[in-house]
Formats: sequence, C-alpha cells, structure tokens
Amino acid sequence: MKISAPHMGHLHLMLADLFQRMGVEYVKPPPTTTKTLQIGAKVSPEFACLPLKINLGNFIEALEAGADSLVMAGGHGPCRFGYYGIVEDRILRDLGYEFDFYMLEPFNDGAWKFYKLFESLSPGLSIRSLWKILKVSFSKGRAFDRLYKRALQIRACEINRGDTSRALKKAEAVLTAAYSPNEIEEAAAESMAILEAVERDPDRQVLKVGIVGEFYLLLEPFSNFGLEEFLGHMGVYLERSVWVTDWIAPNRNNIIYGYPKKLVKQKAAPYLNHNVGGEGQETVGSVVLFAERGFDGVIQLLPFGCMPENIATSILPKVQQYHDIPVLTLAFDEQSGRAGVITRVEAFLDLLSARRMKRNAGVAAPLEPAAAAMSERM
Amino acid sequence: MRVGIPRSLLYYKYLPFWKTFLASVGLEVETSPMTNRKILADGVKVAENELCVPVKAFYGHCLALRDRVDALFVPRVVSMEERAYTCPKFLGLPDMIAAVAERLGLPPLLTPHLNQREKPSEFKWQLINFARDEFGIDRLDAVAALESAKLAQRQFQDGLAGGRTPLDLLPQSRLNRPRRRKAAGPSKRIGLLGHPYNIYDGYITQNLIARLEEIGAELVVPEMTDHHALMNAATDVPKQLYWTYEKEIMGAINLWTEKRQVDGVIYVLAFACGPDSLIQVLIEHRARTYNVPLMSLTIDEHSGEAGLVTRIEAFTDMLMRKRREHGNVEAVA
Amino acid sequence: METSAITGYLGIDVGSVSTNLVILDEHAAVMAAIYRRTQGQPIRAVQEGMKELLELLEDRNIEVRAVGATGSARHLTGVILGADVVKNEITAHAVAASQVIPDVNTVLEIGGQDSKLIVLRDGIVTDFAMNSVCAAGTGSFLDHQSARLGIPIEEFGSYALKSESPAHIAGRCSVFAESDMIHKQQVGVAIEDIVYGLCHALVRNYINNLGKAKDLVEPVVFQGGVAANAGMKRAFEDALDLEVVVPIHHNVMGAIGSAILAMELELMPGESSFKGFDMSDLIYETSTFGCNGCSNTCEIVRIKVEGKTLARWGGRCGKWEAEDEAAAVRMKQASTP
Repeated sequence: MKISAPHMGHLHLMLADLFQRMGVEYVKPPPTTTKTLQIGAKVSPEFACLPLKINLGNFIEALEAGADSLVMAGGHGPCRFGYYGIVEDRILRDLGYEFDFYMLEPFNDGAWKFYKLFESLSPGLSIRSLWKILKVSFSKGRAFDRLYKRALQIRACEINRGDTSRALKKAEAVLTAAYSPNEIEEAAAESMAILEAVERDPDRQVLKVGIVGEFYLLLEPFSNFGLEEFLGHMGVYLERSVWVTDWIAPNRNNIIYGYPKKLVKQKAAPYLNHNVGGEGQETVGSVVLFAERGFDGVIQLLPFGCMPENIATSILPKVQQYHDIPVLTLAFDEQSGRAGVITRVEAFLDLLSARRMKRNAGVAAPLEPAAAAMSERM
Repeated sequence: MRVGIPRSLLYYKYLPFWKTFLASVGLEVETSPMTNRKILADGVKVAENELCVPVKAFYGHCLALRDRVDALFVPRVVSMEERAYTCPKFLGLPDMIAAVAERLGLPPLLTPHLNQREKPSEFKWQLINFARDEFGIDRLDAVAALESAKLAQRQFQDGLAGGRTPLDLLPQSRLNRPRRRKAAGPSKRIGLLGHPYNIYDGYITQNLIARLEEIGAELVVPEMTDHHALMNAATDVPKQLYWTYEKEIMGAINLWTEKRQVDGVIYVLAFACGPDSLIQVLIEHRARTYNVPLMSLTIDEHSGEAGLVTRIEAFTDMLMRKRREHGNVEAVA
Repeated sequence: METSAITGYLGIDVGSVSTNLVILDEHAAVMAAIYRRTQGQPIRAVQEGMKELLELLEDRNIEVRAVGATGSARHLTGVILGADVVKNEITAHAVAASQVIPDVNTVLEIGGQDSKLIVLRDGIVTDFAMNSVCAAGTGSFLDHQSARLGIPIEEFGSYALKSESPAHIAGRCSVFAESDMIHKQQVGVAIEDIVYGLCHALVRNYINNLGKAKDLVEPVVFQGGVAANAGMKRAFEDALDLEVVVPIHHNVMGAIGSAILAMELELMPGESSFKGFDMSDLIYETSTFGCNGCSNTCEIVRIKVEGKTLARWGGRCGKWEAEDEAAAVRMKQASTP
C-alpha cells in the first residue's frame, strides 16, 4: 500500500512520521504549485471552495506519483469540509483513477470507527500501539507547531532578511530526524534554540497583527501567497488563531494558540452566539481577543464563498466598531493574484501605523505613514 | 404585538407552522410582500457580497417589514431532524441580522433556538421555553399552540403530497400571471430540483415555474414526495449527507431516476450556495448514470430573464426530440 | 545663462492601464503632469513619460530632490527610476486627496482596471476597500458600453447630464448589463437615459462592492480616470445624497500622492537615489526564472540594464532581494575611498 494525503502547511512532516511508525509507505504529494491548483481547479465544481480544488490537485499529483490509497479527513458539518472526501472520491473515479479511499472521521464521532480505519491501513495494529504511535507523532507535531509559531514572532525583528526562514528550515530538519520520544524532546529544544539564535533588533518598533479565518487558508502558505512570511519581512509581529495540532486535537484546548476553544466562543457570543461550522465563531471570538490584547489590527483569510467565514465577515463590522480594531478581510480563489493582495496588505499596514502614531501622539497626526519601516525597501 | 415573518428561506417550508403558532400565542402576524426589485436591491446593498442571493433577499425582507411590525421573527433553526443541519447560514442568520439591526433601525428580533440534531423531542421544549421567555405564555397554552401549529403544517404537507406546490398553498404566492395550463401535445415531465426558497420565489428565479407551465411542462417537485421517503432514498452514499435540504434533493433525484418519473431535470442552484456547489457533482453523476438529461441553472441577483427563457426552451425542446427518437426506437422494436 | 535650479519632487504611478507622472514644487503644487497609456509595457511607458515630462518642463532647470513610485508596477518602476519611496496606490491616493482637501473624509477612486474606496478621519485612513476582480466596478465597464453605444467615452458625461430619468440597467456584471442595455434600446428608451442609467449601474455596483458597512460622509473627493465623466459625478451625488468634489488633477492623483510621500522624506540635496532623466535612453530587459532554493520554487523577476543585473525580487524568503542589497553595499564601500 502506498498512501497519500493532501498537503496542508507542514502537516506532511507529521504524516510522514505517523505512517513510518505504522509501517505504511507514504507518498508525499509533490509540493503544491500553481500547476497543482490548475489541475485541481479544472476538475472541481466551479463554485467549490479553494481548499477542495488544491486537495484534488494534490491527490491527482500523488496518484500520478504512484500512490494507490488516499486518505482524507472528514467531519460532520455544517461546513462543506466534512463532505469533501465523498465528492473528491467521486470526481477522481469519474476521471478514471483507481485507488482505495479512506475517510478519517473525528475521534469524537466514534473511537472504534477511528481505530478501525487505522487498523485497515496497518493490519494487526493494536489499539494500544496505535495510541502510542499517535501520541508520539502528535508530540512531534506539537513541536513543529511551536517552531512555526515562534518564527512568526522572531521574523518581525530579524536583522538580516530571510534569517528566520533559513533557521526554520534547519530547525525543521533537526526535528524531522528525531524518532524516539527522548530524541523528539531533545530535538524540540535544539531546534528551538536554532530559531532563537536568529540575530534580532530588540528595539525595533513592530506592529502586532492577529491572523484569523478558515483553517486551510491559515495553515497552507501556498493558498495565501506566503502572506505570513511577507508580513514578517515588513516587520510585523504575528499571532494566528489556528494551528495544525490544535485543529486535530479532539479536546480543542488550543495549546499552541493559547486560548481554549471555549473561551474563544465565549468572546464571540455577544456577536455570534452559535457554532456555524468551520472556524466562523472562532474567527469572531479571536478578533475580540486580539483587540482586548492590544493588537494593532487583524487580518481575516478565507476561501471565496466559505460559508462560516462569510457569516463572520457579515458580523465583523460590528465587532470592529465596538472594539475599535481594524480588520482586513481577504478572500482567495484560483483567480486571486498576489499583487492585489499585497497592495491591500500594505495599505492596511499604513493604516495601522498611522493609527498607532496618532494614539501615541494623542493628537491628530499628519497622514505621513510612520511607515518608513513598513514601506517596501528596494 | 405585531410580529413580522420575512417571506424568505424557511418561509416556504414552515410558514403554516410559524404563523399558526405565533397567532395562537396571541400575536398579530404579518408577512413581507413577495420579493420584488426593491426588496432584493435593499438586501444586496446591506448583505456581504459573497452571500447567496436568497440570504441577501432575506435582509431585504427584514427591511420591508421594518416600519410595519414591532418585532421580526428570525429563528435560529440549527437542525430540523436528528444528525442533520439546515445550512451554516441559517445557523448564523439571527446574528447576521442583529449585526446590521442597529444601523438599519430594525425592530427587535424574536429568535427561538431550534435544534433537533441531538434529540428531536427537544423541539417541543425549545418552543415552550421560547413562548414563556418572550411572551409569558404558560406551558399548557404553549402546548396547545404547538398542537394547532402542527396541525396547520400537516395540512400543508398533505396538500403538497397531493401534488400541489407551495405556490398554491401559501398566501398570495401565485404570480400575477395568467396560468396557461399545458399546451397541446404530449407534455414533458420535468423534475425541478432546488431549494424551495429559490424555486418558489418568482422574483429570484425569474418566474421559472410559470415559464415551465406555459410551455406545457408537467412539473415534478421534491415536495410531492413524503419527506421520509426522500430521506430514505438518499442513503446510497458512503457517508450520509448532513444538510437536510441537500438530502431531500439527493433523495428526489435518486427516486426520479430510478423510477423513471421524469424526462429531464432542471437543477436550480444559487451562486455561492455552499452545499449545492459540492453535491452538484453527485447529482450530475446520478443523472449521467441513469441517462436522464439534466440542466443546472445557477442564479444570482443579476440573472436576466431573457437568458433563462432561452435555456429552458432549448432544454424542453431537446427533451421532446429525445422522446420522439425514443418513441421511434420503441416502434421499431 | 543657466538659471538656478528649482527644487521638484517626482511622483510616478504605473498601473495596468495608465502611467502617470507629476513634478511637484516645494509647496506641493503641480508643475507638470503626464497621463499616458501603459499598453502592457510599463518600462517603455515610464521612459516615454520621462521624456514627455522633460519636454513639458522645457528649459526650466529642475533639481529632483526625491522620487516616489506607486501603482501595480511600483516595484519595477522603483528599481529603474531609483525611487526613494515605494508605496501602494491606496495610501498614495489617500495622501493626494488630503492634500487637495485637508479634511477629506471619503475618497472615491475609479480607474480603468480597479477601483478603491478610502475612508479617512482627522487625516488618517481608517478603512478602505479595493476591487480588482469585477470589471463592472471599474472604468472598463463604461469603456465597453460606450463602444457598444457608439458614443465616444469623452462625450459620455454630457449625454448623461441631459438625462431626466435614468434607465434602470440591471446587473453588476458587464455581460448582464450589456444585454439589459440592448433590451432598453430595443424598447426605445432615450439614449441619454441609457447613458445615465449606465452611470447609475456603475455607482450602484461600486457602492455594493466597496461601500458595505462604511460611513460615507462629506467632504467626498472623486478621483481616477473615470472622474472626468460628469455623469458619474452626478450619479454619485444622486446615490450618496452628498456633494462630490472632483479635483483638477483627478487623473494623476496616485502620482501626486507618491510625490508628496517622497517630499515627506525631507531628503537633503543629493541624497535621493534618483537615476536621472537619462534613464529613458537605457535598455532594460526583464526576465523570470524559477528559484531552486527550496520546494516553493518561487518565480523570481530579474531586471537587467545594459546587460547587468539591476535587481531581482519575487521570492517568499527574500533571499534575492537580500543578495542584491548586500551587493549594493559592497559596491558603495568599494567606491568610497
């Protein structure tokens, strides 16, 4: 069996580890490129959301690369994501591909079903050993998330542009090589130290921006034109509301993000008092949280037409007004161009710097964008 | 107190229930007029661009009721049956309206929370609590109101099962257009798939039903089949659909194709309808497998009537020709 | 006899449709302005524009103190011109509008390929929206329809002003609007009313697209190429029920904004990286290549002048920009004894 799964940020690092432990051959889909998206968009329903189109591109490229089994995460709605797998399976079969398809439903939907799925991938796998494997792989996943989270903060102050990204690559390799629980623990510390060693300017005035929105757009840099790295290079300190392991963890304590789901929902309640699927309610709650923590602004990312996020977008003007925090909403589809996104983001940063200047001065500041640091440096 | 029910979304499925219930607890009930250019334009102006046209129309209907009622009825209908959802946008609807209420000067919202997803029997208590909290109605009176509401809804469902459409059964829904019944010649049985709030809203779907009747189509709609039969017919997928509306659509096409109840299917989807954008793949696959012609019509607030007429005429003409060929084949055999 | 040099600030806005250049004097007054088509060749447009600018200035001796670049090709322009500040066009437009009307609260901007709405309070931008996807919210919508009606776009405004009741043209989408317009023609609606109806349709689309949940209050400035159309100004005034001001230099506001941003750097003479008007005679080559540094395989843009690499950019990690910067520093060190 040669198994594959769609890309989502650094999820593949965790999957590679997991399948290795299970003794299953993992075919990592070729890195997502514009071509991947084109392949996926061509066979997808026109009005499906962007992640489905990229998923399909990954699947097709993985099948071409020799995968014979595909695994896809499920869910029970009400957002479309929970039904992606069924539709993707149908589309791929209509295209004439042959493969085994596995749909991984959330643990909460039934522990036995959850176990049986893994057991069917790796016959003879006991519940005990599955539990152990998941625990170790997951701890490695946590370590990856911590690195990436820290990188978002360090990059804002790096002295040599690109140092953080380079250190992150090195750190990633160190962690990838670790296998036993002890090794993972050591590698986590060592890789974090690599990242911390990036030369920084502690006095740099940085803008603080929160990133919220739909999980795929937040987790997969390809889908958002590497926005976080771009913002980092502009000297913006970032925090983000969704992380791979937080998203996978059944209890949703959001260890990496730092704010449990329950609290986030509580913050959202005055504006959106019910789960609407996806991250709709978390998006609203996180904007409130970022505002309360004194962030300069928030950027919301979503696939064009995403139902939960569109609900959040409809409600956010009220949140912005009550909490006095600017929010930039960016919707992406296969037509989106990087230039348009960058222009909006740059203007948004100018807006945030001007607001901060005005607040610091306590008087009306001239429009001059405090943005010497923000402006593109040639 | 006068309460307004927007003529949109759940209206086309549950008006008899809500109207009776609210009247029984002592309220005056008013519905917004049929969707018209102003209502839709007002809605489009306030609603997020990426929302589907029926939800945009819902905003417009709330505005149309603004100066005529003391409260707007905007329930949060999470789920209408076990293990199912309506649609995310229905879940967030009261909050979406509340977010613009102040700015638009809308009256207060009445928002019962209705969720039968975990336990269908909860429904009764959710309503009893709603009646108590909002109007101080005691339990027995609330139960009585619930019973008469159920009765009204059953009568409506029976009417549908008898072959009538929501257009015939809901107040002043029939379009102001003479109903020319069936042209001469053999009629074509056309299955009309889509959400009731689109296909029965004559403005949103550009008089589609009247158009089809004019050219002599015999319409088959999902509402004619008992809800449970539709649900049962939709179970042939590896994973059960969790949207009730889409499950009905799946059930209907499965029944129609299997029992050869239609000559062709017109599938009306709203642009930006999330669930339909996905199950469209399954619907089209089903129609292809059973060799039933299917035309998908995507509608939004800009759809022109001229384009629609051309397309449905071309589609029905094609069905006629196909049938003739088919008839010839039979004659030869 | 050589006259003493006049200090000037150069602003340039290179978009996909037009390329605009201005020279401002020390008091931010426009000394010369150029508006020309980009025609898909931004470098050429800049070079030709610079020549034209020089001709306009005739024998006045201008010392360019600082240069600002904006527009979708701002990066490229910044490199070949040696701009001191490179800014996005939203900020540039806001800056220019506040120069014309210091207490401006709302900026409406409609260009050929995109449109923007900027909300300001007390001189700072508090909110904005930009449309670059839907053609029916931009100037190209009117261009198409005017061609369809056989009316030169320059005369569109005077037709619209004659209308007493605009026709209702449906549809945000150009395609739908076009079929609706033809329909209106066929049933005999007066041409003036159709023309004004189109202006209304564009304004409605603009407001629905960009104006959601935004407080649009006076003073309102309307700029961009489309602001030349008096019918559009009237349609905005109808729709918003507010007075709308169109600045004299409405079609070069992006360039004015970038010149002001350059002025605000307060550079001393000689500090500017401006490469001089001579650049219009150089030969530039642009090319792209895939970076193989990692699995992202970013597309990198390279620009060469006279065969020498001038700059490279476009990757996610910023590696190529950093290398060029380092090279520039080395050059500088080498040249200073």
